[in-house]
Amino acid sequence: MSTLDQKPARAEGRKDPWSQLLEKVGRNQDRQAYHALFEHFGPQIKYYAMANGMASHAEELVQEVFVSIWRRSCLYDWRKAAASTWIFTIARNQRIDMLRKMKRTSAEMPVETEDLWQIPGENDDEPVTSLHRLMSERRVRESLSHLPEEQITVIAKVYMESKSHQMVADELNIPLGTVKSRVRLALNKLKVILQDQNV
Amino acid sequence: MTRHHPDTLTLMEFSAGNLSEPHALCIRLHLDQCPHCRSRVDTLDSLGAVMMESQPQVGVSSDMFDSILSRIDSEPDMTENYISTQAKRMSPLQKLLGDDLDALPWKRQLGDVSVLDISERFPGQNEQVVLQKLAAGGKAPAHTHRGNETTIVLQGAFADQNGVFNQWDFVVLNQEDEHKPVAVGCEDCITLSVLSAPVKLTGTFTRLLNPFIR
Repeated sequence: MSTLDQKPARAEGRKDPWSQLLEKVGRNQDRQAYHALFEHFGPQIKYYAMANGMASHAEELVQEVFVSIWRRSCLYDWRKAAASTWIFTIARNQRIDMLRKMKRTSAEMPVETEDLWQIPGENDDEPVTSLHRLMSERRVRESLSHLPEEQITVIAKVYMESKSHQMVADELNIPLGTVKSRVRLALNKLKVILQDQNV
Repeated sequence: MTRHHPDTLTLMEFSAGNLSEPHALCIRLHLDQCPHCRSRVDTLDSLGAVMMESQPQVGVSSDMFDSILSRIDSEPDMTENYISTQAKRMSPLQKLLGDDLDALPWKRQLGDVSVLDISERFPGQNEQVVLQKLAAGGKAPAHTHRGNETTIVLQGAFADQNGVFNQWDFVVLNQEDEHKPVAVGCEDCITLSVLSAPVKLTGTFTRLLNPFIR
């Protein structure tokens, strides 16, 4: 199917330690590996909850995320996403889900959170490998370290505090256009911007 | 093949989990059919992971891991149950609208245009969500849009002065875009549109005037 399937040795080399641990959880219900993931990602997720104004539910969110990690770890495929990316999407979805459940007066949610926001590698019929996917996290990490502080600040507010571009503009007291251009400059460096499109 | 894509800033707000449910649905439907945008979202999700990793970290209670383990042990078939529910998962569109778009209780408006308001399927959202159907070969009257209107083509295709919009194409229109869409091809053209509240709300008076707030 893919070159990576034919060259497992080389492919193994690309796997980061967290993805290896997550794979162990998925394959063997390895609790030691699970604990190592908890030690590493638990405190990150707790901060994420607090930055989102969910201080009183922060530990609850961490728990929900980890139960969800256990439940779906057998579907984790390191070729589709690095463990940290996969775990970020679970944390994001659990945050959305928790807020939806708090806001909702009736139990009815015709569209579930996961119908809207997918976890990479699930319900995904595409052929497994894209080098782009494998490399993306490494590239993002490297490029991010070269970005100016003002761009990182804006991105952090969008991702960690779930603020819209407009809310970031209001908070930093700068025009919306400035927020957007900082984001665009950053995404350009991260090569997310679609080449053939005016955005 | 889709040719009209969401812009990167919108995909970023999607990846960060900041879009409203109806907007997220439009993006999700597009992503299902567009490998190009999916790969951009993959990169954006990685950006989220790297941001999360680079923030301060907050210690968790010492007994939390044990309570997680006891939850896992209390439901031994957790993983199996999860896999079987995943297998039964329907597409979000099927869930919302069933299998037959033509069988929906369409309301005929003008000539070739029918509409169906499905806002109540998104409780608690301040947006109007409507399906619109333009009969094959039909023309819609020229119109502009209030606020931002995000549209995804679910079936068939339409054309206006900006080009042809095929199935799963994504387009955002606002007050400045006057257009006169025509359904092209031999199928009815069905679109899903999300109409955002057009103004930023401040005082109570504006709130009363705003038709999108209920």
